[in-house]
Amino acid sequence: MAHDYKAIQWTPFKKRYDLFLLLGVATYLVLFFVFTAGGQPDGESLHPVQIAIAATGSLSFLMLTFILSIGPLARFTDRMKPFLYNRRHVGVATFIIALLHAALVVIWYHGFSETNVFVSLLASNPRYSSLQGFPFESLGVAAFFILFLMAATSHDFWNAHLGPGLWKALHMLVYVAFALLVGHVMFGFVQDQTSIVYPVLVGSSALWVSGLHIAAGFKSATPSDVHLGRFIEVAEVSAFEEGRARIVTPSKGERIAVFLHKGKLSAISNVCRHQGGPLGEGRVIDDCVTCPWHGFQYRLEDGRSPEPFSEKVATYSVKVEDGMVFVDSEPKEPGTRTEPVSLHGEDAL
Amino acid sequence: MSDKDDFFIGWSAETPKADRRFFMLAGLGLLAGTGGAAALIGGAQDGGGPGTWDQGDIQEWRGIASALPYPTLRTRDTDGKIKTAFLSCLNKCTPELRINQYRDGEVVIRGSAIRRGEHLMIATEDSGAWISQASGSLPDQLALPEEEALGSAELRGEILDTKCWFGAMRPSSGKVHKACASLCIRSGLPPAFYVKPLREQERLLIITDRRGAPVSQDVLPYVADRMRLSGDVVRKGDVLYLRTDVSTFERV
Repeated sequence: MAHDYKAIQWTPFKKRYDLFLLLGVATYLVLFFVFTAGGQPDGESLHPVQIAIAATGSLSFLMLTFILSIGPLARFTDRMKPFLYNRRHVGVATFIIALLHAALVVIWYHGFSETNVFVSLLASNPRYSSLQGFPFESLGVAAFFILFLMAATSHDFWNAHLGPGLWKALHMLVYVAFALLVGHVMFGFVQDQTSIVYPVLVGSSALWVSGLHIAAGFKSATPSDVHLGRFIEVAEVSAFEEGRARIVTPSKGERIAVFLHKGKLSAISNVCRHQGGPLGEGRVIDDCVTCPWHGFQYRLEDGRSPEPFSEKVATYSVKVEDGMVFVDSEPKEPGTRTEPVSLHGEDAL
Repeated sequence: MSDKDDFFIGWSAETPKADRRFFMLAGLGLLAGTGGAAALIGGAQDGGGPGTWDQGDIQEWRGIASALPYPTLRTRDTDGKIKTAFLSCLNKCTPELRINQYRDGEVVIRGSAIRRGEHLMIATEDSGAWISQASGSLPDQLALPEEEALGSAELRGEILDTKCWFGAMRPSSGKVHKACASLCIRSGLPPAFYVKPLREQERLLIITDRRGAPVSQDVLPYVADRMRLSGDVVRKGDVLYLRTDVSTFERV
């Protein structure tokens, strides 16, 4: 954790995670070849290169579906946090599989000819006005470049140098890539196949990802509408757990995480300065709020990372009235000391 | 119990026991799901078609070469049957120019066979010596066949390229293959109209213009689409031709 870039080292968990990832990729590719060969009529086997194109294409789509499921699932259970923290490993692996798919397609379908492969790829089918004839290749190319951009900037080095805001905005393009890939598969491979399995699978993936995000959004973004002047209602005191937070969404600005720690209430911005992780879903360790995504820490009383680190988040005033906790909707300057409110002393009104 | 025991931190060497247990179970479940997905997605694919092409099996083919409407060699197949073999290069190209040098006599062509049922294409060897003049007299059986008019027809099907459909690719039709088929046809390889009302009744007709001359660029916008074509069907030996006019092409 630092203001400047610092490499995060391998841990035994990361090694196990990547081992499972490699096993999963290898299992899929091997079984795809086996079952493709077994599923064809006698004497009508698919060409191995074309099997590889279908295998890598379908695998990268499934992996992207999985990647997009991790975030919202982590809103429902903390147990998904290990998957969330290492999500970029799956992301880079997905790009490598997609790269293999793209290379095979370009060489096999668009190569071996005097025509430039990229002219063939982008100009051989101009029927953009037709659903039946829509050139699915262009959707795949656009999605591929987004995945490339994301894989190339996935390292913390880029997060540190681009800044968390721009980096996060860049990586939100993954949703555009997923939408493009749904179109790419639906207008391409699915149109050519007679089995109902493919449209059902792709449609289910799209619905699953959309539904999951909507559900997670409802769970965590319901704005508070009970006000006490500038203060907004958070929850009853009894609803707080030691070392944990309740998150509240003001009508404008960042969400606010109100923590209970050692009998005192404190409020800081819910947005981690590292990658925008949800601090309110973390917990207090060593008297510091610890981000669940990458372990960045902030002191409760002033929103500053402990020395020698320099990150800081906004703090907020808290007050308690008739057993109900309220938080000021106006943030203080990041790093401003704000005295925690004791539930047992004179601070509680 | 410390406050770190049940809270996962990515950089920490210690992973909470509950997280380890969940990760192992979820990981095994995902592996099983991955295998199931591979079986489902791989196994449900349509067949690739019965074409074959062994590029390493180079043979010598004797016969009469013809450049029009598309490069062909009237030759005796390995089973003794006389056939019209279309000619291609190893890549997406056609050897038409060199055939014109040998149009008055028997030739020997070195190349590998691309086959689908009774259909035959020879992919010529990728060297300068793939065609040569044959010595000896011209066998009568190999004389270019007379054409036989079979009447006019209106047919539904798909325009594709012969090389891939004969066996260079599997599968060799449909939208995913459209760009590849377009490259083949643009290079001069014969475009064909694939008619398949029933599985057992598939027919392949080589497309020419109304006068029997080759077509190439004109059909490219319609490759791999579901089409209705009308024209005159002509048989020349073992090959069916559809003489048609691109202006009458209709998507269905």
